[in-house]
Amino acid sequence: MAGRVAIRAQPVLGSGGGDSVPLALLPGRLLDEELLPAWLPALGAMAARAGLEGWGWGRRPVIITSSNFGVGSLYAHRHGDKDPRHLEHGTPTSSVELVRGSLGWGPDITVISHACVSAHLGLLQASRRIAAGVADEVLVFSYDFLSPFVTGGFHALKILNEGFPAPYQVRETGSIALGDGAAFAVLTAARGDFQLIAQNVFNEHHHFTANDPSGSGFHRVLQGIVPALQGRRVWLKGHGTGTLEAGRLEAEAFATLFPDSPLVGWKGSLGHTLGSCGLVELAIVAQSMRTGRAPGTVGTRAPCFTSNVATEPFALGAADAAICAGNAFGGAHAVLALSHA
Amino acid sequence: MHDLYIQAVTSEEPGSETPATARERLKPLFPPGSARRMTHLGMLMGAVLSPLSPCEDDAIVYLSQFGESRTLEAYLDSFPTASPLQFQTSIHPSGVQQLFIGRHMPVGQFYPMAGDRQLVAQGLLTAALTGASRTLLCGGEERGSWLLECDCASSETFAFAVALTSERGEGAALGKIRLERGPLEEGLSLRAWARLLHARSAYSGPSGSGWRLTLEWF
Repeated sequence: MAGRVAIRAQPVLGSGGGDSVPLALLPGRLLDEELLPAWLPALGAMAARAGLEGWGWGRRPVIITSSNFGVGSLYAHRHGDKDPRHLEHGTPTSSVELVRGSLGWGPDITVISHACVSAHLGLLQASRRIAAGVADEVLVFSYDFLSPFVTGGFHALKILNEGFPAPYQVRETGSIALGDGAAFAVLTAARGDFQLIAQNVFNEHHHFTANDPSGSGFHRVLQGIVPALQGRRVWLKGHGTGTLEAGRLEAEAFATLFPDSPLVGWKGSLGHTLGSCGLVELAIVAQSMRTGRAPGTVGTRAPCFTSNVATEPFALGAADAAICAGNAFGGAHAVLALSHA
Repeated sequence: MHDLYIQAVTSEEPGSETPATARERLKPLFPPGSARRMTHLGMLMGAVLSPLSPCEDDAIVYLSQFGESRTLEAYLDSFPTASPLQFQTSIHPSGVQQLFIGRHMPVGQFYPMAGDRQLVAQGLLTAALTGASRTLLCGGEERGSWLLECDCASSETFAFAVALTSERGEGAALGKIRLERGPLEEGLSLRAWARLLHARSAYSGPSGSGWRLTLEWF
């Protein structure tokens, strides 16, 4: 909320060295996975603070979303200390079982993995289960922790480089940062401070790592929620990783459909928390709506792709809803709109 | 209680066929440019989905416990010079995305899911709630190599796709799935579910996570 930058330049392969790239790791955590993942106590502490007990039974199911799960343990087994015990939680299923067992949840767990829109999909599925009367309340819980597996991959794609991200800024080279991230939301039908007033998804399937140059995917997903926002004043939290083409297409789509709304992206502070970014950044959106003030686009300076990019913190004023967007490999798009209940 | 009608079903049960043999057998199904870049699991998923003529309005629900095991192995072995192609195709939804990206075919709803003994029930529940006029529930696994030796990959290769609707419709529906609340018992594995579809066998029993599943064929 203070607009500080959590990312630091670190070797892309951890103890394996390599180029310095911007990463935001949990305090004291190393990129190399440990036998019992060092992030597990942090998840436990988050769950304990929030009193997340008794979930995963009956009409209180859990939806877990992630793009990484325990894949850092597979990397540690293959390239680190090669201890076979890493393999006990290297697959999505075994990683979820580690988390479920650690937090004492029941067996009613749904696992969704759609790269960087995973958390958005979890929220959508939770909404549907409540609307259908299948559940009284749903816990959507997301975690993604970095490892050389994922940092090496984005570095190979050349978008994780020595530069720090400046989402939506006109510049010569695009750069992203990656970050550890975990967050949760409890969705109910009958109570709460905030309301999901619209959700939509779309998969353009133009290319694995590039969007349709027309920007059609960004427009299509946003157009699906426009009817639900009639008469509202909205502000915009974009995906904004720091890549140039996707950032320009996203900013232009927002500026076309919501020309009077300020646009921010926060991955210049947190890094891209991958499959969990939809929930991690939703938590900041909710806190912004509580305080009436949103952080600006950390790391970005003018000139920007569109004039509505807010580089400084701003008062929400009369805005009564926020739009939160995400996108992912394969041209996957997801969006939601949040208002006060 | 959720009822889903089976309008079409396809499956791949290649037994001990090697990935190289499968590639030769399946590559005529795909444009040459995209077949070259497709993974083994991607080809299998393409082979079961293509006959169902997927379209933009279909919702796709994809189930796989292990996903792209062989690409994951190859990507891990590519370090320290990580392969960008293997990285992007090692992600969980890649097995289905490869078909649609090869055709530049958008779809509105796509839900890739993982898990073990709850996966079938949760996938069917997700399919029942898409609101789409037709939902394609698909899934599969590929036999791993060194990840299998570590119990981190499937020991068998298979794939399936089933076209589901919430109404029986005027056409010749093949069968019906009913998902209803049931006792907390261990559910069907994805492998067992794929076998039921392939053999068109009936089933009535637990499906995991407190759900009971009934599969009948007309």
